[in-house]
Amino acid sequence: MSTETKTTQHTHPDPVARTTRRWTRSGGRPRPTGNFELFSWYFFRISGILLLFFALIHLLIMHLLNNVDVIDYNFIVQRWASPLWRTFDIMLLVLALTHGLNGARVLIYDYVHSRGWRTFAVTTLYVVGILFIVLGAQVILTFQPQIQSVAK
Amino acid sequence: MATQVTVKILRYDPEKDKKAHFETYTVEADPLDRILDVLNSIKWYQDGSLTYRRSCAHGVCGSDAMRINGRNRLACKVLVRDVGGDAGKKIQIEPMLGFRILRDLVVDMDPFFEKYKSIKPYLINYEDAPASSERYQSAEDREIFDETTKCILCGACSGSCPPYWAGPDFVGPAAIVNAHRFIFDSRDQGAAERLSILGEGEGVFRCRTVYNCTDACPRNIPVTKAIEQIRRAMLYNR
Amino acid sequence: MYRGQSGMWLWILHRLTGVGILGFLFLHIADTYLVGFGADYYNELLFLYKNPPFRVLEWVLVGAVLYHGFNGIRLILMDFWDKAVDHHKTLVQITVVAFFVVWLPAGFFMLKPVFFK
Repeated sequence: MSTETKTTQHTHPDPVARTTRRWTRSGGRPRPTGNFELFSWYFFRISGILLLFFALIHLLIMHLLNNVDVIDYNFIVQRWASPLWRTFDIMLLVLALTHGLNGARVLIYDYVHSRGWRTFAVTTLYVVGILFIVLGAQVILTFQPQIQSVAK
Repeated sequence: MATQVTVKILRYDPEKDKKAHFETYTVEADPLDRILDVLNSIKWYQDGSLTYRRSCAHGVCGSDAMRINGRNRLACKVLVRDVGGDAGKKIQIEPMLGFRILRDLVVDMDPFFEKYKSIKPYLINYEDAPASSERYQSAEDREIFDETTKCILCGACSGSCPPYWAGPDFVGPAAIVNAHRFIFDSRDQGAAERLSILGEGEGVFRCRTVYNCTDACPRNIPVTKAIEQIRRAMLYNR
Repeated sequence: MYRGQSGMWLWILHRLTGVGILGFLFLHIADTYLVGFGADYYNELLFLYKNPPFRVLEWVLVGAVLYHGFNGIRLILMDFWDKAVDHHKTLVQITVVAFFVVWLPAGFFMLKPVFFK
């Protein structure tokens, strides 16, 4: 045991790492607090990190390396000829929508207090969300180039 | 050097007023006077109806937390010169947000204390203490929760927290800090109970890491850090 | 009104950009859906997006994504690293600077061909 005095400000041991001993009556681990809110909080962080990768690359390709002047039907035909880009896009779609919809759910929980309205709002959110995931996934996965109509 | 200080205070008397309104006073004050001294001067010499809480008047009882120039502070710790009163700037004083106003600067602290009690702010230990001595705790173990022992329950943190304002039942940063004090106390065995309360919808996951609480705390408790430590503890121990 | 400090403004902006990006995302899924209907419909829509006001909005969108992402990194650091919370002010400064350092040049590259042909 050290006898030197410790300055209190800078050497706090990490509490999370050290406190697994007397957490319960029996000294074992606490019963799981794994619940939806913990999962939602953790999901934001994981999907957020992944989205940094996917979304920034997407923006780089669409807005910096190319731009709206160049992007047209043919651009998409070429891009989605590769299964790699289809996979990339569907990952981006699902991650972005779930991350965003979870955020919208949090906003509803924060600001809509009446139980009836909250249930209605969250239900609408889920329905709209599923609809858009399906719409988005459908076109990414099943798109086949059509024969181009003759130039007018 | 005493100067004329202009003070704008939000007044509300439930028996007379329909809604809160500002009233302005001019007070002679020294730059080193505290805001509490200014309030006293107004109450004793100008308007005896001004109502506010105060007790120790030196920053340890937590009675006089209020919004001074828009931020939650203890009136007995803020000096006139800190808020520019000596330079001719107006000082604006209002009750804290997130609490029902009872009268003038006095707010209803009951829900705040209910939330505090809900996280079981007392030592929980299911074994008897050793017969010969106290429950031993090393200096290192004591260090872990040292910061969160300092809470004086003034309410400045909770009153500065947007999720707390949005309500309705978020326990608030003060309750979480006091839960932290026991959860990470090596002599305590009630962590599981407190964590399960804090893991619910109105517990730690309402925190949006806004950081107003840490800025507002008159005891310099790192509130946000305490909340993050609890969240990590839940994640790693699920 | 509470006069919160930088943390509060960063939080408000994080919410606003989040909602903004989500709204745009709905629009974007709808417009990409048109690809399934053939070149005519899709290219028709893109004519709209090529107009200068939309190009500026595009830059604003890029800004929203950059801000939301960088601030998100700051939040993740604070969640998982105690030291980060101690150095809150520095982290805020780094976040804001990093945002402008990426967003402004991006604006230059994106808007120069639109306004200076």
